[in-house]
Amino acid sequence: MADALITVLDASNYVLILMLVALGLAIVFGLMNVINMAHGEFMMLGAYTVLTVERAGGTYWLGLVAAPLVVGAVGLLVEEVVIRRIYHRFLDTILATWGLSLLFKQAIVLLFGPGSFSVTTPMDLSVDILGTPYPAFRLFIMAVAVATVAFTFWLFFRTRFGLAARGVIANRDMASCLGIDTRRLDRLTFAYGAALAGLAGAVMAPMISLDPQMGLGYLVPAFLAILVGGLGSIAGPLAGAAAVGATDNLTATFFSPVWAQLVVFVTAIVVIRVLPRGLVAARRRES
Amino acid sequence: MSGRERRGHGVEDGAGLLVLVLFAVLPLVVEEWLVSEIAIYFAYALFAGSLAFVWGHCGLLSLGQAVFFGTGAYAMSLVTLGMVPGAEGVVSTWLGFAAAVIVPAVLANLIGRFLFLAGGLHGAFFGIVTLAIAFIVERLAINWDYAGGLNGLMNVPPINTGLNGGGAEVFDAWPLYYTNLAVLAAGVAVLSALMRSRYGLVLRAIRGHEARTRMLGYDTARYKVSAFTIGAAVAGLAGALFVTQFGFVSPPLIGFGLSAEVLIWVAVGGRGRLLAACLGAILVRWAESQFSSLLGEWWLLVLGGVFVVVVMYLPHGLVGEVIVRLERAAGRRTRPS
Repeated sequence: MADALITVLDASNYVLILMLVALGLAIVFGLMNVINMAHGEFMMLGAYTVLTVERAGGTYWLGLVAAPLVVGAVGLLVEEVVIRRIYHRFLDTILATWGLSLLFKQAIVLLFGPGSFSVTTPMDLSVDILGTPYPAFRLFIMAVAVATVAFTFWLFFRTRFGLAARGVIANRDMASCLGIDTRRLDRLTFAYGAALAGLAGAVMAPMISLDPQMGLGYLVPAFLAILVGGLGSIAGPLAGAAAVGATDNLTATFFSPVWAQLVVFVTAIVVIRVLPRGLVAARRRES
Repeated sequence: MSGRERRGHGVEDGAGLLVLVLFAVLPLVVEEWLVSEIAIYFAYALFAGSLAFVWGHCGLLSLGQAVFFGTGAYAMSLVTLGMVPGAEGVVSTWLGFAAAVIVPAVLANLIGRFLFLAGGLHGAFFGIVTLAIAFIVERLAINWDYAGGLNGLMNVPPINTGLNGGGAEVFDAWPLYYTNLAVLAAGVAVLSALMRSRYGLVLRAIRGHEARTRMLGYDTARYKVSAFTIGAAVAGLAGALFVTQFGFVSPPLIGFGLSAEVLIWVAVGGRGRLLAACLGAILVRWAESQFSSLLGEWWLLVLGGVFVVVVMYLPHGLVGEVIVRLERAAGRRTRPS
């Protein structure tokens, strides 16, 4: 019983992190129609921000706050310098952001070297769950992820900003005609998506080893998650992340980590092929 | 075909012939190590040509093109190393080439059928799925112990002119160089003939507006499957050519890394023109060999920056832009006043 619960908790942990990554990716895609191949590198930048803060003598908590801010600022810069100049050329945004991911990776190699690093776990506490000790930090991560997802829902469904953003998602030209400043929304959305990735990187940092290639391992599952879940809604990517993350984690636990990724990727491709609109079909009018 | 287009082809053909002649005389003036270095760039150039056909001409952004290059390289290696189960006595280079073309083509055909037929995926969805396929295939290659797993296969023999080995080996720099150049030129000629045929016109129409092409009565899904298959066959041939010279095949050849690289070559050279894409591969590889020792870790940063800037401001690519300008100039000169 306790074992099963631990397994479920570990799987939820991965699922929630994947949700953070996929959510940022999906918001940027939904609103701006930009496929951001540098999203994994935004996550990496978040993790390295924590590392930098720690090296400078700061605490992990300071790094956790700094990471979304720093990466959000990088996102703002990327949007201003690159994305806004090509966002009407759909496939080119894939290429340009891919190039950016190369740049970020190489910049990290230059600054920190190609080796891997680790960040010290800020909480040594563990909590007794049905008699089995479970690291409190993992529970904390899950709380952060749940709170962030809830905040994103609140932002998009309960604020004027969210209303305007959903208006732009539904019909960009019409929203623009109605006086919504789409430029400002694009900028904020891209920065917010980047900040989500930065936060995901920061909360992951103590649990994994940091290296310049770490982003890619999350980018592809996150992409598959949003395609499996379906675009055009916020619930879709979350459902997709749950499906992809849980399948991956449970296969890795019960069979082998080597085959987990294969099983997940192949299943995801089949699902995408059979249900191109995703598990949560968007009720979005085709324009 | 309009007269203007024919003149456009004239410019590209002329430029292509000029480049071919330049490469044909190049070994006379450069040192021998560079000759064999450039010979291997020709394999990369053919690989870039396959992506230019699939992506530039037909609009299928394949983010996993190295799957087919790698499959071709593995197929060639398994045949010439006598590792095909049940046919260990066969070590023929010629059968190796056949396998290196057929195996990736069949693989691409199956993937293409699955992805395109009956509704199917397009645009970015296709790109992301091909990216995931590249991951899957690389992971499979790493875990395929028979083919050396992570270490891959070593001591792959060079091209052997005998029917089943035993003939002369194409091993020295000069014969290698001209063999690879000839295969590259033939591959480019075949691809560009395809691109200019009626069939190629339909592919271009699909890139421009798929729904409209379908309305005109073309089964666009089948056209896309066939274009993807042809691209894979050429990529496989390039992989086979590569491995006979390089002598070593390992999982990185089949996965994400090389797929990303070939995309950069093609985008920097020019996706819309076969010649530009091939020269892009040669130029980037050459620049890498020139500058990577000088710039060290900065080289990749520079390459990434160039790539982003080219995508943003020069959608035709560096070489493609030159060709396009020459074409415009030729068009102006011959336009009746």
